[in-house]
Amino acid sequence: MVTAAPILMDTPPSASAKSSAGKSPFSLPTVAVPSVSAPGGLAAPAGETLVDISHLDFFYQTSQALHDINLKIEAKKVTAFIGPSGCGKSTLLRCLNRMNDLIDGTRVARGTIKIHGVDIYQPDVDVIELRKRVGMVFQKSNPFPKSIYENITYGLRLQGLNDKAKLDAVVEKSLRGAALWDEVKDRLDSSGLGLSGGQQQRLCIARAIAVEPEVILMDEPCSALDPVATAKVEELIQELRERFTIVIVTHNMQQAARCSDTTAFFYLGKLIEFAATRDIFTNPANAQTEAYVSGRFG
Amino acid sequence: MSEPNSTAAPAAFAIQKRRLRLLGLTLDDTIKAFFGGNAVVAIVVLTLITIFLLREGLGFFAQNSQSLRVYRQAGLEYVDFIRAEVDDHTALTRYLSDLRLRQLTDLTEVKKLSLEDANAALTKFDEFADKFSGTVDPLRSMLSDLTEQATAIKTKFIVTGDKKEERRQLLAEGKTAEAAAVQIEETDFAAELKPLVATLPAFKEGNREFGRALLATLDGAPVMPAPELAARMEKLKQLTRDYVAGLPAVEHALETWDYARPIPAWKAVSSFVFGRQWLTASFWQDWYGVIPLFIGSLMVSIVALVLAVPLGVGAAIYINQIASLREQRIIKPCIEFISAIPSVVLGFFGIAVLGQALRALSQVSWLSWMPGFPYSERLNILTAGCLLALIAVPTIFTLAEDALNNVPRAFKEASFALGASRLQTIVKIIVPASLSGIISAVLLGLGRVVGETMVVLLCAGNRIAIPDFTAGLSVVTQPVHTMTGIIAQEMGEVVRGSIHYRALFVVGLVLFALSLLINYVAQGIVRKYRISIG
Amino acid sequence: MSAPAVHRFQSQPNAARRSERAAFWLFRAATYLVLACGLGVFGTIFFKGAGTVFKAEAPFINTTFFTDAPESLYIFEFEGKKYEMGDRAFRAFKEKHPAAAKVKSESYVYSAGGIFPCIVGTVLLVVGSMTIALVLGVCAAIYLNEYARDGLFIRFVRLAILNLAGVPSIVFGLFGFGMFVIYFGWNVSLLAGWFTLAFMVLPVVITASEESLKAVPKGFREGSLALGATKWQTIRKNVVPYALPGILTSSILGIARVAGETAPIMFTAAYVVRDKLPWEVEKAGEFLFQGVMALPYHIYVVSSKIPQNDYTERVQYGTAFVFLLVVALIAASSILLRNHLRSRYKW
Ligand SMILES: Nc1ncnc2c1ncn2[C@@H]1O[C@H](COP(=O)(O)OP(=O)(O)OP(=O)(O)O)[C@@H](O)[C@H]1O
Ligand SMILES: [Mg+2]
Repeated sequence: MVTAAPILMDTPPSASAKSSAGKSPFSLPTVAVPSVSAPGGLAAPAGETLVDISHLDFFYQTSQALHDINLKIEAKKVTAFIGPSGCGKSTLLRCLNRMNDLIDGTRVARGTIKIHGVDIYQPDVDVIELRKRVGMVFQKSNPFPKSIYENITYGLRLQGLNDKAKLDAVVEKSLRGAALWDEVKDRLDSSGLGLSGGQQQRLCIARAIAVEPEVILMDEPCSALDPVATAKVEELIQELRERFTIVIVTHNMQQAARCSDTTAFFYLGKLIEFAATRDIFTNPANAQTEAYVSGRFG
Repeated sequence: MSEPNSTAAPAAFAIQKRRLRLLGLTLDDTIKAFFGGNAVVAIVVLTLITIFLLREGLGFFAQNSQSLRVYRQAGLEYVDFIRAEVDDHTALTRYLSDLRLRQLTDLTEVKKLSLEDANAALTKFDEFADKFSGTVDPLRSMLSDLTEQATAIKTKFIVTGDKKEERRQLLAEGKTAEAAAVQIEETDFAAELKPLVATLPAFKEGNREFGRALLATLDGAPVMPAPELAARMEKLKQLTRDYVAGLPAVEHALETWDYARPIPAWKAVSSFVFGRQWLTASFWQDWYGVIPLFIGSLMVSIVALVLAVPLGVGAAIYINQIASLREQRIIKPCIEFISAIPSVVLGFFGIAVLGQALRALSQVSWLSWMPGFPYSERLNILTAGCLLALIAVPTIFTLAEDALNNVPRAFKEASFALGASRLQTIVKIIVPASLSGIISAVLLGLGRVVGETMVVLLCAGNRIAIPDFTAGLSVVTQPVHTMTGIIAQEMGEVVRGSIHYRALFVVGLVLFALSLLINYVAQGIVRKYRISIG
Repeated sequence: MSAPAVHRFQSQPNAARRSERAAFWLFRAATYLVLACGLGVFGTIFFKGAGTVFKAEAPFINTTFFTDAPESLYIFEFEGKKYEMGDRAFRAFKEKHPAAAKVKSESYVYSAGGIFPCIVGTVLLVVGSMTIALVLGVCAAIYLNEYARDGLFIRFVRLAILNLAGVPSIVFGLFGFGMFVIYFGWNVSLLAGWFTLAFMVLPVVITASEESLKAVPKGFREGSLALGATKWQTIRKNVVPYALPGILTSSILGIARVAGETAPIMFTAAYVVRDKLPWEVEKAGEFLFQGVMALPYHIYVVSSKIPQNDYTERVQYGTAFVFLLVVALIAASSILLRNHLRSRYKW
């Protein structure tokens, strides 16, 4: 049971669909190149609903992990998912770019997830295209055992971009975007595994933004990092919010309070409360939320 | 994929599928199907093995049935009744010569006579023995006549079969005239058999005479010098009397014998499964009984396992529980490397070195208490078994070590915490907990040993006979032939499509089924173990 | 007693300790006995075979043994001297000394010359069958580990693989004979041997490949997919390259098995003797359809078909020695290859 109703205004998802009206529906996928000033391709203006989750039920084989989730994520904002362990934060996050498809026996039993008004669980959706636009950063940093340069260009090369000059530009831009450039610019050809934990995580973020997604999903990106590295990543998130829509899962209340614009609190697979971060932390509408954010949970 | 679009127009959020499709499959689906196809290969191969073994092997039973029918219809079976009687008599004479040998040793070793004196002392016995063995001579000559007659009938039948085949082929080639020219004489078994069966009254007469003569010779048996030998002589007399008492049964069998009695279909199978003779390329009748080969394989495997299980499991326990880390790191790959020694090299080693060495060892006098020692056959069950043990040890070691490794650390720690010693922990906790793993390791080792070919082919002695189990444990010093060995040895020489060729495929089928069975049981044990832990 | 104060936990010799020590010694003895047996086999063959393969003067290696074909050995006395020579040498000798034409000689087949055709045949058999087995096996493993979802079909496949691993090699030989040699009409040929051997090692390769694929961290796959890679791109660029060293290493086991097996090639690929070398075929198309000599089969032939004596020992031990060496070399080269790949992909 959802006690706190979503407090966002319902904006029609048509805005984005209209903006693409001039293009043929069969247009080839576009590779974002560094010259694009407005990242994310078609820009959903800040504050508009980008991801619209409604009545979502999700199952792992027979066990239901998500119950009737209704959530609207705004473009160019940072949305934080908080909640006790096992409440379904990662599950929901992984629904957004359909990473759950990789696990046997998972299914969306009811409800829809719409991005730009497109239901991403429709059978005609190309998961690969979806994942290009909805990037992901994992809890455990997972740089590939390749050079830093190769790591960043991996996604673009997949799309057939092989122009050395362009790739160089993307690498620099992404690394700068991930606040890593100064630290690694002299050793782009050394292995990504040779970096420190924090650097590795920022490398993964750089890798994710290199393909210019619209949404970046981060699943506890700082849980394996020390406070200094965490601070750097948080800083980075602040910079990235200008260009990307970010959804972040975190166990760290302060982190949620510091970085996010809106916060969703989950408990036992249900969305309990979803509101502006300030409200959640200072004036929660729900008693469970209050107990959790104040650390009196039990 | 696409060209990079450098005009940087804002892309639509177009995530609908628009990949190239071929017959409704995307590239990724096609790739997946390709890999899936490769995974099916394992099933396909297993199926093909079954199909081709059956394809070549199944014809055996029809051919065997035919062979058995001819055996009866051509009168071979009839003659074999008499042959069995004569052979039984031969067995009695063998007993007699054994008795002579014992007397000789008694005379030379106990009474310290010289060899000539001893032989001289045995003249009376020799006379008796000659008389005894001579009684069967009339029967034997009758037998050889009958053998010739029966063989002639069989040959005639076979020639007819060949001619039919020739005509069939000519017809198939369209040469009608030549085909018509092929003379075919159907074999009329009843008529052909008449002279053969007509000898029955003469045989009966001769048989009675033979019985009387045999009993009469017994009265002239010489007195034995030692009580032990006397007892043996009494035994011989008893055996002979029993034998004579059994003679009328043979006559009865011959009287009631009927060439036209049909051979039941199951005979073709049972004569293979329970047949105690594997006799090929014989002028008389070929027999394809798998029992001697099966027993050969079994005996060799048992010897190998008896040696390999303690060594393999012992080494696994040592390496896993007792050895120091450095020992572990050196010894483990070494033992696993032993499994890389090709079996044919081991077989060669057996022929060139081990066979000699073991025989020499068996002739060392202070080892003569060992069963079967000393022995003279260089290649036998023991030689092959020792080498197979070396093949089985790495398998058993590796799998058993795995099983020991899988025992949760907590078990061991709990046991130590209760004050158990290391040995107690191993014996009471670790080994029982991994017992099913160890058992399945042993079973898989057995599978390896049963299926091994080159070592047994080279070192088992290749005598196709059921070993003499009355010899007790020393049976392991006898040569045998095995199922794998017989295929390897005879497959190269047989005519394709002949009954012998098909029989070898059936032996292959038996091996195949056996390996599946062993695997199944081993897996079953492992599965049960998993359930009990979880 | 004036012994220093015995504290409560002092270790004391007692029966239990002694029996434990004895038991441990038993286990140790078992282990070292196994090692000694292995060493005995190796040692004997290396020691006796070294005499054939090496020689006292430079270049220290008996090259003719490696480069000649097997010949019959003739032993005869001529003008009071004893000679041992191979078939060709004997004929040349007779031409040079016409008086020797009628000399009485003992002869042993295959006991002179070398084993070059056998080495060539074995290498061909191993390379061909391992290529087939690796392609089939790695692809199957990729399917099982990357694509397959649990289900009846996969259970079936796994069961088949497990059972295939237990099928005796001679049964593979029969199968290869029945299917390739007879049904497909390939006769005794390289191709028939390749497929027979490939099917035989398939389970080993599949199991080894799957293990190596499993060892590649899940994060590599997820990271790649999250960047919009297709499954195939992920596998090709981010999984298989990292699994390859492991796959190759574990395939050593398969290679050793392929090189060492005799039974499956006995009636599918191996000839007792063949004068021509495999590349001396008239048409290129015949290359695949010719039988070859092979080291393991040659060992079988020389150890079972010719008597054991001082003259034949040379070739018997020599062949066995070379064979063991070849197996070891294959293993070593695979290990080198693995190390090379390891240094390229490290994580
Ligand atoms: N692969 C899976 N198969 C089955 N059930 C799963 C799987 N992954 C997660 N679950 C279950 O789904 C529920 C939600 O899991 P999820 O990983 O989304 O929690 P979470 O909120 O991310 O927890 P954490 O904070 O510990 O990461 C849990 O009850 C979990 O046990
Ligand atoms: Mg999580």
